[in-house]
Amino acid sequence: MRSRVDSLVALAAPLLLVVVVAVVGSQLNPVRQLEFGSALVSVAIVVAIYIFVGNSGVLSFGHISFVAVGAYLSGILTLEAEQKNLILPTMFGVLRHSQTSTPVSLLLAAAAGALFALLAGGPLMRLSGLPAGIATFAVLGITTNIISYWDKIGPGVTALALVPTNGIWVFMVGALIAIAIAFAYQISPFGRKLRATREDPLAAQASGIHVHRQRLYAFVLSGALAGFAGGLLIHQLGSITPDQASVELTFTTLAMLVVGGASSLFGAVLGALLISGLNSFLADAEQGVNIGFQLTLPTGTRLVTIGAVMALVLILRPSGLTGGREVRLPRRRA
Amino acid sequence: MPEPVLELREVEIRYGRLPAVRNLSLTLERGEIVGLIGPNGAGKSTTLHAVMGLVPLHSGTMALRGAPLRGRPEDRARSGIGLVPEGRHIFASLTVEENLRLGLSARRSADGTAADREWVTSLFPVIGEFAHRVAGTLSGGQQQQLAIARALIARPEVLLLDEPSLGLAPIVVETLFQTLATIREGGVSILLVEQRGALTVGFADRTHVLANAELRLTLGPGDAGDTQHLTEQLTAAYLS
Amino acid sequence: MTFLQSLIDGIGLGAVYAVVAVGIGLVFGVMRLVNFAYGELITAGGYTLALLSGAPAIVAIIVCFAVVVTLALIQERIAFRPLRGASPATMLIATFAVSFLLQNVYLLIFGSRGSTVGTLGQLNEAIAIGSLRIRYITIVAAVVGAALLAGLTFVLNRTMIGLQLRAAAADLRTARTLGVRADRVITAAFAISGVLAAAVAILLTVQSPLVTPDYGVSVTIFALVGVVVGGLDRLVTAALGGFAIGFANAFVGDLLPSSGSAYLPSVVYGLVILILVVRPSGLFASRRATAAERV
Repeated sequence: MRSRVDSLVALAAPLLLVVVVAVVGSQLNPVRQLEFGSALVSVAIVVAIYIFVGNSGVLSFGHISFVAVGAYLSGILTLEAEQKNLILPTMFGVLRHSQTSTPVSLLLAAAAGALFALLAGGPLMRLSGLPAGIATFAVLGITTNIISYWDKIGPGVTALALVPTNGIWVFMVGALIAIAIAFAYQISPFGRKLRATREDPLAAQASGIHVHRQRLYAFVLSGALAGFAGGLLIHQLGSITPDQASVELTFTTLAMLVVGGASSLFGAVLGALLISGLNSFLADAEQGVNIGFQLTLPTGTRLVTIGAVMALVLILRPSGLTGGREVRLPRRRA
Repeated sequence: MPEPVLELREVEIRYGRLPAVRNLSLTLERGEIVGLIGPNGAGKSTTLHAVMGLVPLHSGTMALRGAPLRGRPEDRARSGIGLVPEGRHIFASLTVEENLRLGLSARRSADGTAADREWVTSLFPVIGEFAHRVAGTLSGGQQQQLAIARALIARPEVLLLDEPSLGLAPIVVETLFQTLATIREGGVSILLVEQRGALTVGFADRTHVLANAELRLTLGPGDAGDTQHLTEQLTAAYLS
Repeated sequence: MTFLQSLIDGIGLGAVYAVVAVGIGLVFGVMRLVNFAYGELITAGGYTLALLSGAPAIVAIIVCFAVVVTLALIQERIAFRPLRGASPATMLIATFAVSFLLQNVYLLIFGSRGSTVGTLGQLNEAIAIGSLRIRYITIVAAVVGAALLAGLTFVLNRTMIGLQLRAAAADLRTARTLGVRADRVITAAFAISGVLAAAVAILLTVQSPLVTPDYGVSVTIFALVGVVVGGLDRLVTAALGGFAIGFANAFVGDLLPSSGSAYLPSVVYGLVILILVVRPSGLFASRRATAAERV
């Protein structure tokens, strides 16, 4: 009984937080709305990464690959066919001629993310610790490199532009879906098994848990959600370049996960929102912002500050602001 | 009465919430050999690790010549504590000479190094003989000698020995214990963790029996005379 | 461009990469930490040289060494020391964060357009032997690289701190119980890796003088591949691995048509993945989990 209440609260807290952010955002001016929308997309991306990293304890620098694939696929699919013939003449015919609605493109982005994660994860899930970190980073490097140069799958180094954008409610729904799926996974037998391998891989293995397989399941689910979140990203930004879904995004999303607390869903959501807020504020400040007085920060301050915040949290509170715990009702002492 | 070289008072050590050692007090005078025996998991090695600073104390105090024992393992090594760990942990890829030279890291000054080196080499002739061999190629007994020599060359006041006889042939063990007696005559105090109960009781000045994280019994060399009685005593303590 | 010419270019670049690989491998050995932010040390050296382009070369070089070694020590003291004993994932995120942080600090100070290094530019001149053109820098790189590695070997094998470094790399915990001070050994490893990074900055800026905030990233990643190929905790093989990857890079880059060379990074990354998957434990096996324990 108690645990059912606990688990309801653990799910409701992040959902509520996201709804509040969306409602507040919808009341603001269009520029602010964009920033709140972007924060909600970040929630979806970070929750996607959390499914794998948070539950397995294995680091991945590679998830933004799935985000990139999802973003490009979903963006390209929602462009008008004639337009594509004009601006992307070298692209594969199937991509040029097809056009789908945004929801369908998001589903296909999720499928592409899952497929990519399955292909990459098959061999990579045998690794953990340092080798896993380096190998997943290599996956990101390959993805960025190929998207930048292969003109059969997209516009190359130039921006994929003119993608139709959506309003803040779409991103709210997207973030809610990501959270619900992550929650369902983490209380499922699969999620429990994977968390057991995080605590003690040898003991988990000894009690019959197939570590490699459990990690792969999570990686694929996480890849699917990352592809989906990538789809949200492109429909939030309206245009994207290969660099926008590469090392920098990897860095900021990992910062979000680390700051919030990598081993809890609430931590992932909270971290994504906090760092997004900081990110937006600093980006504004780089352009000049009035906060009682005129503040203009030099370009680069934003990422330096986020890096510093992340490093500080790593050093002072390695398990993140939430301490890696979900939200619970206060307990009466027996 | 002079201060003991090493004094543990009401020491408690925990792994997580589980106590590994509870309420342990013991002293070690200059030139004394004190034994610590007990079944696996009784907390013997943990005690040595705590003295070396490898695991933190939960409560209680430890003092070296009256001064509280603090700091990281390297600081304790430099203040006069030497550890010969279980399994020897010699550097297998380095030469015997290099292993020995690493022992010098704990010395605060180079004065007297040559004399100590001579002393150590006289205790363990094999060290001089195989100085330029790679340490990994030595036999188990030779590696054990190297591990002790490496700790001794820093001239520690207290030598912590963790199951030195493990895996050695009986004849080698006998020689080893004779050497320990010689080392004690050089003014070094020895805290000796052993599995071989009877042997240790007969050899050490005092032997504490640990079981289940607590001190059960303290025996002297006189208790080793009546083998049957000793066995009964130890069995009762181990099972308590 | 002949085969022999490519071979010579390959040796020059291979020497540089070998030095980078050793710099990374050295720190990994004692701390079990792959310093992604190693490239930013090289970049710092590059900017120092760019700022001092007007000064006499010897001054620029000395200041470059001072700046880079200082930055290496700062990295260790501020970022990595508090994290000793943290999980590999945490350490990896931390070095990644430091790398990114420093790149943005450079962006903040120097902007994105890049600064040009003028020091030692004359080393780009070549001597012609028949149809071969050998640039002085190729010879200098090979000689300096070999000298640095020989010097390091001397330090490791003939000095007390070198012996302590080797012991710490094999088993830090036991080394500490012998009185080897972890702080000192790790500081020494970072200082030496800083010296190597400064030398690399000098050699590299002669060949590609435009220093941008991400100047050191690609050389670090390529060298990391070499380290992975060679094995992280064995310096000689790491050096060989680094040399091989640098050599291959120049060699393949020379021979490949320009349309293919765009995908060179993918080929290299693919190689990394392949090696990691085929021999994950062989190369990275922490022979002593104890080395990662709280220091």
